[in-house]
Amino acid sequence: MIPEQFGRVGVLMLFALSFPALPLIVSQLFYRLRIRPEHPDPVKNATYECGVESEGSAWGQFNARYYLFALGFVIFDVEVVFLYPWAVNHAGLALGALVKAAVFIGVLAFGLAYAWRRGALEWR
Amino acid sequence: MSDGLSVELAHYLSVSGIIFGIGIAVALSKRNAIAVLMGIELMLNAVNLAFIAFARLGGNFEAAGGDPLAGHVFVVFVLTVAAAEAAVALALAVLVYRRRETVDLDRITLMRW
Amino acid sequence: MSDLNFDYALLIPEFILVGTAILIIMADLFRKELGLGRLVLPAIAALGTIAAGAASLAYIDDVDDFANVIAIDNYTTFFRVLFTVVLLVVVVSGYEYVERNIRHTGEFYALLLLSTVGAIYMAGARELLTAYISIELLSFSLYVAVSLAKTNPRSAEAGLKYVLLGGVASAMLLYGMSLIYGTAGSTQYSEIAAAFSGGTSEYGFALLLGLVLLIAGLGFKASAVPFHMWTPDAYEGAPLPITAYLSATSKAATFALLLRIFAGPLLPVIDQWQWMMATIAVMTMVGGNLIALQQTNIKRLLAYSSIGQVGYMLMAITTISDASASALLVHVAGYLITNLAVFSAVIAFHNRTGKEELDDFAGLAETNPYLAMVLTAGMFSLAGMPLLAGFVTKFILFQAAASGGYLWLATVAVIASTISLYYYLQVIRRMYLLEPARGESGRWRLSPAGYIATGTLTAGVFLVGIYAGPLFTVADRAARVLALS
Repeated sequence: MIPEQFGRVGVLMLFALSFPALPLIVSQLFYRLRIRPEHPDPVKNATYECGVESEGSAWGQFNARYYLFALGFVIFDVEVVFLYPWAVNHAGLALGALVKAAVFIGVLAFGLAYAWRRGALEWR
Repeated sequence: MSDGLSVELAHYLSVSGIIFGIGIAVALSKRNAIAVLMGIELMLNAVNLAFIAFARLGGNFEAAGGDPLAGHVFVVFVLTVAAAEAAVALALAVLVYRRRETVDLDRITLMRW
Repeated sequence: MSDLNFDYALLIPEFILVGTAILIIMADLFRKELGLGRLVLPAIAALGTIAAGAASLAYIDDVDDFANVIAIDNYTTFFRVLFTVVLLVVVVSGYEYVERNIRHTGEFYALLLLSTVGAIYMAGARELLTAYISIELLSFSLYVAVSLAKTNPRSAEAGLKYVLLGGVASAMLLYGMSLIYGTAGSTQYSEIAAAFSGGTSEYGFALLLGLVLLIAGLGFKASAVPFHMWTPDAYEGAPLPITAYLSATSKAATFALLLRIFAGPLLPVIDQWQWMMATIAVMTMVGGNLIALQQTNIKRLLAYSSIGQVGYMLMAITTISDASASALLVHVAGYLITNLAVFSAVIAFHNRTGKEELDDFAGLAETNPYLAMVLTAGMFSLAGMPLLAGFVTKFILFQAAASGGYLWLATVAVIASTISLYYYLQVIRRMYLLEPARGESGRWRLSPAGYIATGTLTAGVFLVGIYAGPLFTVADRAARVLALS
């Protein structure tokens, strides 16, 4: 039983591997057969970034300003996880649950207002 | 062990234990503060996996008076606390970086016992 | 789930603290528009703290709980009062320092108030998730508060080290909690106790690993010795009032939590954790006191001294019983009073001189005999000299350990305590026998707040040392809630 089921997975895996491997092999083959010419130049060898010219290495550092926004985003993004169970069960809950959710959102709003007033939302 | 393919509590716990081990190894051996933080996040995810595994597959949990819901609730809270922790740690890392131009823990040595 | 008790009136002291914190943030945000003076924020903080402390007195002899997660009983009330008193002392004795050395005063006071809420719920938690959230509320506030000093370049580094090591410890604590949840099937303390008292042989290794990780995580928060690395750095880098707060509330709250967990849900498996606790206790009291001998900075000296004190307190957890639980509460209260007396004196000294090395204290007896007297009383009390708080509280703590069958542990504690006398005497020797540095021999006086804080606390040190009866009674009533035999 086990070999059968893993056999299917194995076939799928071979198929998946052939997807990236095949074009590489064909390309190399064409090069060997002198079908594909080889004329490298710096523009051709540059990293392709959606048409935008890339600059610097991938290890460059980002401006610390991004962190401020990233932090704010992560906090608010994750806090929403508390609202999911509440929203799913909303129909069956009493009024008290609505009040509690409102208090929770109120606390989050206070945090946002604080960040706003402190200037954390401005790009300086 | 019904048909040899079902994934049981022990499997989940093994994976969780391995992730926790990798996390603690990363957290204690890396010198870059950000890498240490990544190790901590790995450890917390191992904790989440263990909680969910216990809550879903904890044998006769419900029959024995166990509380499967507690594990799920725990995971939700661990997720949010982990995010808050990452926020605090990254903010402090930025603060240190502004002063010292490094977050290498071996070079942050103004204090030594 | 309809039988839960959602009586919000039980949480009024914490509502006051949180409300005060929000009020302070608001006042700080609109400081210029409202034209607030520099004393307004500490005044609001102090008033809110007093109100919360007074409100918690209404729950004496109450036996209740909030939604099965927070117990409102004498034990919680004891720590509510203790923590609000500590907060008040830190605010009063520290406001001058804060004004000069802290970048964001509003956030500073708000964080202190919020961390006190966390500390109270650590003592009141009767469920693992609540305990964890309270620990993190206390810790996160302190991670940030440690790094708020504006003049000290060490502050941010101390904060970073503290948050990273604290994160590792929290993760270990959580993994321990998940294993305990997995073996016991619940996060409620009472359910865990019921599950474990029915025999634990089937859990085997999982339970043992859970206990090891739990003790490691909590040992970190309490700064017990193999996990103490963060303590001296955080103490040295933190602003002085936060150092005082770390050594007082953070420690006491951890022990409040430890006592409730190890006297409740984990009492049935005492055979599996008692030896670990004894080992850590020995390492902590010997290690802390020995490393303290080499310190040259007053904050680091007090950090290692407090690690030594943690060792004595862990001894009470090891030999857990009715007597040692109440002895632990007495010792925690006495230690907090003494330590705060020392720290408020150090803060007053720093306000005047801006220095914190041991050698800077040379000749203090000449330039300010009053402050030298306060420091001497505090140091002698920490060392455990008769007539002072430290002697009485240590005596009953050691006695409880000895009568609990751990005479060897008590002997080690006495030896460690003797070692500690040496480095306390080093400070006193500098103050009384050495000459003040050149050009600094003029007399100086404390600010009124400095006199109030140091005077009251020193009086407290002597009061507990001479007439400790009432404290014993209160601690007894608080410890009885734990229902140990």
